[in-house]
Amino acid sequence: MKKILVVEDEKVLCLLYEEELGKEGYAVTVVYDADAALEALGKTAFDLIITDIRMPGKNGIELITQIMGLRKDIPIIINSAYQSYKEDFMTWAADAYVVKSSSLDELKLKIRELLGE
Amino acid sequence: MIEKYNLLTSDFQRDAPKEMMLLSIISQSFFQPFSLEDNLLVILTALTSGSGVGFNRAMLFLKDGDRLRGEVWLGPRTPEEAGYIWEVLSTPGIGYVEIIEHNRALVSKNESTLSHRIKSLVFTLDEETCAQMPALAACNREIYLVHDAFNEPMVDGKFMELIQVDEFLCIPLIARDEVFGEIILDNAFTHVPISPGDIKLASLCGLIASNYIYSTTLHQRLLDAEKMAAMGEMAMFVTHQLRNPLVTIGGFTDQLLQPGGVADNKRERNLRIIRDEIQRLENIVYQMGHFLKISMKEPVYFDVAPVIEAVIQSPEVQTRKQGYALNVKFEACLPQVYCDPTSLGEVLRNLLDNAFDATPPGGTVSVRAYKKNKTSFVLSVRDTGKGISSPDKSQLFRPFFTTKEKGMGLGLPFLKRVMDNCGGQVEVQSRVGKGSLFKLIFQSREEGRRP
Repeated sequence: MKKILVVEDEKVLCLLYEEELGKEGYAVTVVYDADAALEALGKTAFDLIITDIRMPGKNGIELITQIMGLRKDIPIIINSAYQSYKEDFMTWAADAYVVKSSSLDELKLKIRELLGE
Repeated sequence: MIEKYNLLTSDFQRDAPKEMMLLSIISQSFFQPFSLEDNLLVILTALTSGSGVGFNRAMLFLKDGDRLRGEVWLGPRTPEEAGYIWEVLSTPGIGYVEIIEHNRALVSKNESTLSHRIKSLVFTLDEETCAQMPALAACNREIYLVHDAFNEPMVDGKFMELIQVDEFLCIPLIARDEVFGEIILDNAFTHVPISPGDIKLASLCGLIASNYIYSTTLHQRLLDAEKMAAMGEMAMFVTHQLRNPLVTIGGFTDQLLQPGGVADNKRERNLRIIRDEIQRLENIVYQMGHFLKISMKEPVYFDVAPVIEAVIQSPEVQTRKQGYALNVKFEACLPQVYCDPTSLGEVLRNLLDNAFDATPPGGTVSVRAYKKNKTSFVLSVRDTGKGISSPDKSQLFRPFFTTKEKGMGLGLPFLKRVMDNCGGQVEVQSRVGKGSLFKLIFQSREEGRRP
């Protein structure tokens, strides 16, 4: 079973992602901030990371920078309410950028692509 | 030895020379929270408020593009009325606020007659075509005294029809090389000839008025620029605020629509989540609309006690206080406070919301209302919550700054706008881990006192 880490400060969204991606057959871990994400990455070998950008504490871009420093080759999907972060070149380090929308289809599609399914 | 004096004289002294009083009243306009229109009216009132120095009537034109547009005509209609206004102005203890209230009453009384008619007067300021009084003064940037006006070809006919006076003075309003308007002064009732001394004094008043209009205009431009910057920030913020609830509503609705459906308990849970998120969207829309209302309501004096009482007794506050100690202390006799009552109520509700949000259940929220002195009133809200950190303190009044998970960051900016609008002050004291105190200081007066 592929393991996905979701970094999202909005708890009700975490619940949705946990259930919906779980239904797709993934083992989902949710954390509410970047520090918790780094801690989880130290414990578990994830196959994919989905992260928000605007979060209390460290933001998603700082998180991506730190993950790159860990030299773990884990695909990252940015999942943000903002289009405009695409202009920040640090977001180019991620493997995909999915703007939050009322349908999870695009997100699910990207996950399948990145996991080679 | 050091002696201390107030920056503003609290009342205008009867024994001071009238010229001094006139300039004192006019220069105080700069410090008042009232609108440009109100303050300009005070200047006109001062110019027409006595038989000794003043003129009988004053008319204000303001520049509107490349035209000069009639704005307001103020003046007593009889010498007795002039005497009465001077009495009002020079009564000890009468402040600026009373003069403003007096003016508003006077203007609304004249609205149907004088002021209404002057608004129909519009003259070009185009140098090529402008050849007649009154616009010529503003156009040439010179003060003109017109005698024998009925026989003077260089006076506009429609203007003459309206003012019906033999002699009048035209003072252009100019600051920093920019024309802002013109004041016309006359002695239509007393027929006293306008003296060189009168002209000097009037031109000085004109200069002060021009600078006042100039600084107000600049200030407005600055506010507009700030507003534009805030709009950009707002667009970003709203995107985020709206998208998250939309994802949640979409996702949990899709679950409900899946073939085979979901278990009963989960269906109810999903519907509750959707309901909550819709409420959140509604709240965002409400707050945005509320904050964006460009104009604030005119402040008035009103009895503050019932307004505070109504907020405390409101169902929202009564529900929120569950689990807290809500401690309310009023002075027995509260004064009349200068603000817009509805806005004051909303501000208090915001502060209470913040206090409850910041305080863990079991904590205490205290509301105090008391007279600080004869002319100011304090409304304060204190909590025993988490307090505000120093970096956050500097951002408190910035729109869209929030530390709440679901906050909009518009409550305190709204408060600031309300307080600025009525000339009040906000004081914030806070210690991390101990709690916060928000103190609102309003202008007030003894109950029942009227000018």
